[in-house]
Amino acid sequence: MNVSFLRTLISFLAMWTLVFVLLSFQTLQKEPWSPDQLLNPEDLATTINNPQNHQPLILCVGPAATIKNSIDIGAAHDKENLDKLKQKLKTIPKDKVIVLYCGCCPFNKCPNIRPAFELLNKMKFENHKLLNLPRNLKVDWIDHGYPVNN
Amino acid sequence: MKLLLSLLFTLFGSTSFSQIHGLEIGNQAPEIKLATPEGDTISLSSFKGRLVLIDFWATWCAPCIAEQSELVKLYKKYKHLSFTSGAGFEIFGVSLDNKKDSWLSQIKKKKITWTQVSDLKYWNSPIAKTYNIQELPFNLLIDRNGVIIAKNLHGVELEEKLAEIKTN
Repeated sequence: MNVSFLRTLISFLAMWTLVFVLLSFQTLQKEPWSPDQLLNPEDLATTINNPQNHQPLILCVGPAATIKNSIDIGAAHDKENLDKLKQKLKTIPKDKVIVLYCGCCPFNKCPNIRPAFELLNKMKFENHKLLNLPRNLKVDWIDHGYPVNN
Repeated sequence: MKLLLSLLFTLFGSTSFSQIHGLEIGNQAPEIKLATPEGDTISLSSFKGRLVLIDFWATWCAPCIAEQSELVKLYKKYKHLSFTSGAGFEIFGVSLDNKKDSWLSQIKKKKITWTQVSDLKYWNSPIAKTYNIQELPFNLLIDRNGVIIAKNLHGVELEEKLAEIKTN
């Protein structure tokens, strides 16, 4: 009885582990960026705060270019703004370090970061990153006192 | 995975949120004094005596837009009723938009008739800091004296609360 119970329990746990792993894998696969393309906000803040450092091209694909030195493209879910991004990128070398960010909403609800990042993938950029703002620009950037545009 | 993460996030996120900002049920809601689309300055305290829902939203927030239609219905239904916490129901819409055009066009599109204010400063708005807003939509229900009586109620939960405290 006990052995049978244990077997059932182990099978149950194994099944859930498999489901869990598969779901995680699916989640990771779904995003157009890889985990190593997520840029830590603290690292970007340090770079911006030290003008001696090589500065990346920082593009805002959300409602407002709040981060210091970033360029306002507009919300990338809007086709017009996505075209604007495409035009902007045409003159940029493929090996340029580019940082994309939105920060309007949590990553899972943001309508802007995916179309923008997919465009850079499609255009064969080699050093593009997504700024890791999993909750939003306020919580993950402004509240830390990182540099903002005046 | 996503579900588990959001569950952990909700559990731990909301705990730290409550601990940090002191905007708890029973606390006085901080004053908000911002401009309407017409440029008049309106303060939250001017609604004293009524039951007020402070609705923090923005046109770039998809769930907020969806919620505006529900609020329109709720406002019509409860506006003129009396509550244990105030005479009449008001909504005070505080937008974290940064583009006036988008803000105005959504107000018009959704046929919003309650007071709307904004400093058009997006996440940089001092009010987002004062209220320690972590995510949109976010709302607070305050009584006739400006005391918080409920936090972040949406949809059915919000309507149930209004139904529970109405007196007529």
